[in-house]
Amino acid sequence: MTEVLALLIFPGGIALLLAALLYEWINRKLAARLQNRVGPRWFQPLADLVKLLAKEEIIPQGAQPVLFDLLPIVSLAAVTTAALYTPLFGLAPAGSFPGDLIVAVYLLSVLSLCTSLAGLITDDRYALVGGLRVLTQLFSYEAPFLLALLLPALVAGSWQISVIAAYTSEHTWLLLTQPVGFVVAVIGLMGKLELPPFDAPEAHTEIVAGSLTEYSGRGLALFRLSRNVVLIVGLTLIAALYLGGVANPLLFFAKTLLLLVGVTIAQMLFARLRIDQTVGLWWRFGVLLALGQWLLTLLGKAVA
Amino acid sequence: MTAPTKQFTIPIGPQHPALKEPGFFEFTVEGETVVGATVRLGYAHRGIEKATESRTWVQNLYLLERICGICSHIHALAYALGVEKLAGVTVPPRAQAIRELTAELERIHSHLLWLGVAAHEAGFDTLFMYSWRDRETVMDIFEQFSGSRVHHSVNTLGGVKFDLTPELSDAIHQGLDYLDERARYYLDLVQNDPMLSGRTRNIGVMTEADAARLGVVGPTARASGVLRDLRVEAPYSAYVNFPVQAVVETAGDLHARFVVRVRELLESIRVIRLLLDGLPTGDLQARMPRKIPAGETISRVEAPRGELFYFIKSAGGDMPERIKVRTPTLCNLASVLELSRGRQLADIPMLLVGVDPCFSCNDRMVTICRVESGERVDFTWDQLRRKESIP
Repeated sequence: MTEVLALLIFPGGIALLLAALLYEWINRKLAARLQNRVGPRWFQPLADLVKLLAKEEIIPQGAQPVLFDLLPIVSLAAVTTAALYTPLFGLAPAGSFPGDLIVAVYLLSVLSLCTSLAGLITDDRYALVGGLRVLTQLFSYEAPFLLALLLPALVAGSWQISVIAAYTSEHTWLLLTQPVGFVVAVIGLMGKLELPPFDAPEAHTEIVAGSLTEYSGRGLALFRLSRNVVLIVGLTLIAALYLGGVANPLLFFAKTLLLLVGVTIAQMLFARLRIDQTVGLWWRFGVLLALGQWLLTLLGKAVA
Repeated sequence: MTAPTKQFTIPIGPQHPALKEPGFFEFTVEGETVVGATVRLGYAHRGIEKATESRTWVQNLYLLERICGICSHIHALAYALGVEKLAGVTVPPRAQAIRELTAELERIHSHLLWLGVAAHEAGFDTLFMYSWRDRETVMDIFEQFSGSRVHHSVNTLGGVKFDLTPELSDAIHQGLDYLDERARYYLDLVQNDPMLSGRTRNIGVMTEADAARLGVVGPTARASGVLRDLRVEAPYSAYVNFPVQAVVETAGDLHARFVVRVRELLESIRVIRLLLDGLPTGDLQARMPRKIPAGETISRVEAPRGELFYFIKSAGGDMPERIKVRTPTLCNLASVLELSRGRQLADIPMLLVGVDPCFSCNDRMVTICRVESGERVDFTWDQLRRKESIP
C-alpha cells in the first residue's frame, strides 16, 4: 500500500508532475524577467495543462489515429519511468539496479522519438519538417550527452545512479575535476529539451510548431508535461552526477534550481541555430570535447 | 541521413507565425533546401485609393496616414508635399523642420521595431524584447508631442499642427541620449555577436548589380552598396538645410541589412539633435485653399523602408481625382524570391523580414480569376454597385 502511494502520490506520480510544472514556471518566469517582461503567474503552467486537457482533441485527416493518441501517453510513461531511477527530491530512487543510468537516459530519449514520430505520422508539411529536425537533432546531441553522463560512471566505477551519487557526495565534485563533461551534459540537456538556441525543431517562425503542429488538447498537454518531467529528471541526473549528489531535499532543490537558473540564462543569450549548424556544433565540438575528457579520465585512472 | 529527394511545398502564409500580416509565399523545398518560391499578395486590400476620391483634400490626410501603422507620418508627408506643390503653397521653415524631425523619430521607431522582428525570426527573443522596450522611448516622445503613439497626425496641409515647446525639446534630448547609447550597443551586438552573425553573414547576398537590376529601394538597396536615398538624392522639406548622410554598406548580405539599419539609427539621432538645436522660428502653417487647382504631380519621400511614391491628380475640386500610392515593399519583395533559392528553409523568414515588408501598406489591387480556367475577370463600376456575382 505504501509502495503504491509512493509511486502515485509522493515522490513519484503527482508530486513529480507538480514539481515539473513548478520548474517550468521558474524557467518561464526567469526567462521573462531576463527579457524585461512580466512573465506568467505561478499557477500558469498548471492552468495551461488543465485547459489543454479539457479541450477537444482533433485527429487530423491522414494521421494514424491509434499512434496519434498513443504517442503522447507512451512518452509521458517513459519519462516518468525514468524518474523512478533518479534520486528525485533527494530521496532514494524507487528502483535501482546496476546499469540503471543507461536505462534512465534512454527512457528520456523516448520523448524525442515520440515527438518526432508524432510529426511524421501526419500529413502536415510543417510537422514533417519538424519531425525530421527532431530526429536530426537527436542524432547530433545524443552521443555526446550520453558520453558526458557516462563519465561519472567511469570515474565511480559503476553504472548505477545511486552508487555514482554516493561516490560523488564523498569525493570532490566532478564539476571541478570533469568540467568539460559537465558543460557537455548541460548543453546536451538543453538540446534534448529543445530550448533555445537548439529550438530549430519547433522554430515557430519557420515551421509553426514543428512536429506537434497538429496536436491539440490532451496530446499536446501530455507532450508538454513529458518535456517538463525530462527537465526535472535531467537536472536531477546532472546534479547527482556532477554536483556532488543530492543527499537530502534541501541539497536537491538548491542544486537543481541553481542548474535551472544557469540553463535559463544560457537560453537567453543566443540566436537560434540552424539545424545544420546544430549538427556541426555537436559533431565538431561536443563529441570531441566529451571524448577528450574521456581520454583524460581513462589516462588519469591508468596512472592512479 | 539523406535528405528526401521528393520536393514538396511549404506554405508561409496567408496566416503564419513568421508573418505579422497576411501575405502568401510558397517555397518548394528539397529536404531543407529551397528550390523555388512564389508570392501572392492582395490579402489586405482595403480600397483606400478609391476611398480618397470621395473625401476632401483635408480628410484624405487622415485616411492616407492610416495606410501604414508604422510609418504613418511619412504617408501624410508625401501626400501633403504633393498637394502643396499642386496648390503652389510654400510651407514655413519651422513647419518643414518639424516635419523632418517627426520623420526621423519615426525612422528610429520603425528601425527598432524591425530589429526586434528580425531578431525574433532568428530565434533571438532577448534582442526582440530589448529593442521593443527601447522603442517605447520614441513612442513616449510621440505621445508627449502629439498625444498619440501611432498615428501622430503632425501634418496638416500647409504645415504642421503641433509646435515644439522647450520642455518637449528637453524630453526628446533626454530620450535621444538613452537611444544613442542603446543604438551603439545594438551596433556592437549585430556586428560582433557570433551566433547572430552565424545566421546573417553571407546569407542572401545581393550584389550591387543585382540590387540595381531588381530595383530594390531603401535600406535593402543601401546594404548592397546602391546609394538610393531620396533624402540625399532629391532632398525635400527641411532635408536641404539639415542634410543626412546616406548610410551605405557594400557586403549585400543579411548582416549588412542589419548594420545599415542600426547605423541609420545613429544618423537619425544625430540629425534630430541638430534639428532641435537649430529649429527655425516662425509660423507653423501657411494658408491653404479649399479647392486645389487642376493638375497632376508626383511626390517622393524616403520612408523607413525606402522610396514612397505618390501620384496625385486634381480636377480643380475639393476632392482629388486620383491618388496612386506605391510603397517600398512592392519594390523589395521580388528580391526575396530571388534570394531564397538555394538557401536553407531556416533562412527564409529572416530573408523575408530582411527587406522589412509591410503587406497591408502594399496591397493595392486584387485580381479576380476564374477557378477553372485562371482567366481574369473584370468588373465595371455598374456591376460592382449592383453587387453582381461573377458574370
